[in-house]
Amino acid sequence: MVWGSLERGQQPRRSNRVSLALLATGLLAAGCNSAEDSGVAALLAPEGSVGAQSSNEASRFLVQASFGPTPGDIEFVENLSYSGWIESQLGMPMTEYLAPLILETFVGNEVSDDVNRYDFWESSVLAPDQLRQRMVYALSQILVVSDRDQGLGDRPLVLAQYKDILTEHAFGNYRDLLDDVTYSPAMAQYLTYLRNRKADMASGRVPDENYAREIMQLFTIGLVMLEMDGTPSPGDIETYDNEDVKGLAKVFTGISYQSDEFFNNDEEVEHLPLITFNEQHSQEEKTFLGLTIPANTDADTSIQMALDHLFAHPNLAPFISRQLIQRFITSNPSPDYVRRVAQAFERGSYQLPNGRDVGEGRRGDLAATLCAVLLDPEARQDPLTAPSDFGKVREPVLRFAHWARAFRVTSADASKERMLRDTTGTGNLSQQPFRSPSVFNFYRPGYIAPSTATGDANITAPELQIVSEASHVGYVNFMSDFIRDDTPDQNGATGDEFRPNYTEELALADRPAELLDRLDTLLTYGLMADETRDRIIAVLNEIPIGEDNDEEDRETRVHTAVLMLTTSPEYMAQR
Amino acid sequence: MKLSRRHILRGGAAMAGAGFLPRLGFDAARAADTNGYRALVCVFFKGGMDGHDLLLPYDETSYNRYREIRAPLMSSYDRNEAGARRTRNELLELSPANAGDFGSRRFALPPEMAGLHELFTDGHAAIVANTGPLLETINRTSFRDRSALRPPRLGSHNDQQSTWMALAPEGQRFGWGGLFADAQIAANANEVRAFTAISVAGNEVFLSGQDVQQYQVTGRGANTVQELTRPQLLGSGRNSERAQQLLDEHFRASGTTRSNLFERDMATVARRSIEINTLFNDSTVNAPPLLTPFPDSRLGGQLQSIAQVIDSRTILGAKRQIFFASIGGFDTHSNQANSLPGRQREISEAISAFYAATEEMGVAQDVTLFTASDFGRTLTVNGDGTDHGWGGHQFVVGGGVNGGRIFGDVPPAEVDHDWDSGRGRLIPTTSIEQFAAPLGRWFGLNESEILSTLPLLNQFDPAPVFI
Repeated sequence: MVWGSLERGQQPRRSNRVSLALLATGLLAAGCNSAEDSGVAALLAPEGSVGAQSSNEASRFLVQASFGPTPGDIEFVENLSYSGWIESQLGMPMTEYLAPLILETFVGNEVSDDVNRYDFWESSVLAPDQLRQRMVYALSQILVVSDRDQGLGDRPLVLAQYKDILTEHAFGNYRDLLDDVTYSPAMAQYLTYLRNRKADMASGRVPDENYAREIMQLFTIGLVMLEMDGTPSPGDIETYDNEDVKGLAKVFTGISYQSDEFFNNDEEVEHLPLITFNEQHSQEEKTFLGLTIPANTDADTSIQMALDHLFAHPNLAPFISRQLIQRFITSNPSPDYVRRVAQAFERGSYQLPNGRDVGEGRRGDLAATLCAVLLDPEARQDPLTAPSDFGKVREPVLRFAHWARAFRVTSADASKERMLRDTTGTGNLSQQPFRSPSVFNFYRPGYIAPSTATGDANITAPELQIVSEASHVGYVNFMSDFIRDDTPDQNGATGDEFRPNYTEELALADRPAELLDRLDTLLTYGLMADETRDRIIAVLNEIPIGEDNDEEDRETRVHTAVLMLTTSPEYMAQR
Repeated sequence: MKLSRRHILRGGAAMAGAGFLPRLGFDAARAADTNGYRALVCVFFKGGMDGHDLLLPYDETSYNRYREIRAPLMSSYDRNEAGARRTRNELLELSPANAGDFGSRRFALPPEMAGLHELFTDGHAAIVANTGPLLETINRTSFRDRSALRPPRLGSHNDQQSTWMALAPEGQRFGWGGLFADAQIAANANEVRAFTAISVAGNEVFLSGQDVQQYQVTGRGANTVQELTRPQLLGSGRNSERAQQLLDEHFRASGTTRSNLFERDMATVARRSIEINTLFNDSTVNAPPLLTPFPDSRLGGQLQSIAQVIDSRTILGAKRQIFFASIGGFDTHSNQANSLPGRQREISEAISAFYAATEEMGVAQDVTLFTASDFGRTLTVNGDGTDHGWGGHQFVVGGGVNGGRIFGDVPPAEVDHDWDSGRGRLIPTTSIEQFAAPLGRWFGLNESEILSTLPLLNQFDPAPVFI
């Protein structure tokens, strides 16, 4: 099988937005994902290192680590192995979200309120920094903000700034991430501590507790004490109580926009990191989780002390590690797997198979943690011999993005794609990046689906929380329209975006078995079930390729095969 | 291929995986009443609806004290550009038949809830006050000194939602709604068990039972796979019956066996999505639309869908049904004066329309709607909002309800009283079990079934008899 048939020199065409950004920031657009990228030679493994992977192994790895394999990506990983791909990705320039919007405003264009609904689709399908953006997507499901909040839905710059924060720290340090998130206007709006004020005896006002509670429950330590392997410590000990929430709430007071006055409502500065105003900050002693911040400590110092204290909690590594494993690899990692990843988090470094180290050696290093997630033996185990409870349901956003990448969509301006404007309903994908219904994301890490095989086995299957009879049909119909390239633009005509390129597949349409071999590697990394294969071939054989309609008949065969495969259990789940 | 109901029934048992677990003791021979039609409708407010801003103190002394304690929030209301107010003379005073139970204290609803107020006055709605999770009776003293057991994970949204629905924090497999449905299924109440537990608001543990599996509907009937109903795909193969057949088999995952549990679950949902959606649509396609107008809101749409399903109960062969609806946006840590009143209006209008629809269908006596929420909120405010609480006030609406009454205890709108766990967070005086038991009995469960589904019930005093 030759994967190198990607058209050489074909640059994915990004929207002006992204191109401008790359120009403006002087970054080089990393175009093709082929093995001929400059600098690849420097990445070739030294003597005696790990060998190449099979195309199916490469494809599976890319399903786990990116938004889905392209033929070029598969070839890259085959030749340079996981280490090579990871190192290439770690060195890739970052996709930017805010800078292009600022540029638009400088040249006098209006930025649409809907930008947040669109920009991430393009990243998922076309961004060269796939691993980084995949991490951004994972982090966005832990440190959640959503434009369904009425204060964020019309503030695209604020949400873009938040995406930049996740992007910048995706391979950085969790402590730095917590810092920037805390000072972000997006989070302050979403969890209601923007202009949160110190207590006032006269009116009975006390500080808003929202962020204090959720930063503990969702962003750092969770609800119960954990062992390093992620299992609850004996005794089901709650990590914090209401008193801790009250104490920590005092810390997040006096935070507002970068302006002279606390109460200023200046649109110009809305997207900038927030600053503190000590006259609105609590001057009381602030006690939580065994830490007492002395009275009269200023806001910034208090915030740093509080974040340091949360960051130091022993729960942090297992709590975050387990969720990252769930976002990339499997819903129920073994305790040993969690422990190994948590140890990488604690150590701040990880040694790749090629012998080189990733990470800065500081506790909380996300690059090291992510490598531990992806390269752990449990992640790399042969899916054919893995236990039946290994793996996960694939979330619909990833199922869709994978299709788009596999079939080399080159133009992914979602603002021109009507069906992508709101995919949160059961009639489409039941989710959309940065648009979850609440700070609890689309699904909970601990969700156990009732009346299911996973539920009967008492294992978590978070992604099943958004799966139902209604949503499944919505997904099938959604994919059907995109696969046949029959989706409307904003004016209702068939648009030019998200157009699949089935060139290789069309050439194989008269040879169903070979066609399916190719699709199997591209979409299901060799795991297409016999009954799926037999059924698809049987259907294809019922679609004659006539002399007059040769092209159309071939298309019909390819569309049918792709739809059947992308709606098969082996594609909709991942293992 | 149309499936007979019998086929679904057989298939349903296999799909439910019920063989893995010992049953909870539902015995068809002793099961209670399956006569007539009964439906329960749970309307869940996600985020924690502020009970203190739902059932307001109305007598002057209490009202003035309330205003004092909530001064910053009352300012927001006074200045409210959107028009929502909480001035005393704009509140809707309640005149409960049991007013004497509260001495000189009186209560009112917000001006946005005229519809619910009318239902209360007409005797079709009751309020069950200060309800919430309890492991045992507890008060301020035994809360503080921890001499009484506290329910776990208080203040955590997902865990309290789960506790309301399934009596324990997140991770539960069965909700009490699902278990109620199981009891009726064991008594063979319905011809097709697939339409026993229906959600119009996503997967929730409330409707999960051992046998029953919740079914999700949207407002426009059940989704169908367009390739099966209006095939675009097959092109020159369109005339091939075999191709159509194979496609159909593929989409319904016929004969699919998988060892991986996640693949297996996706195959199951594929199967159900074709089989049950088709049966549902075939059954309801000719149902004439209801005449009662519903408001064009999220809850209005959900309750309208439920009403339409109820209207098709005979053709669906259902005599006992449990429904779940839900809207969010109640976590009013900030901007409460601008966000809560609009939602309260939405609730009131939607529930009023729903009640009117049940009258239109002649089933007003047979349908009981009740509300629930993660928790109530603090009495003291954080500026322009409130923080997570515990006990909250719920409505029960229906022709069979012992309406026009406030059941349970309403603690004073004060701080530092005996049921204040801090900042006016109410310690519940009615437990979830006490709230659920009368609903279960009305639904047709016998006492042993009630105790199976609500094991802690006997910890508490007899439930308030609101239905």
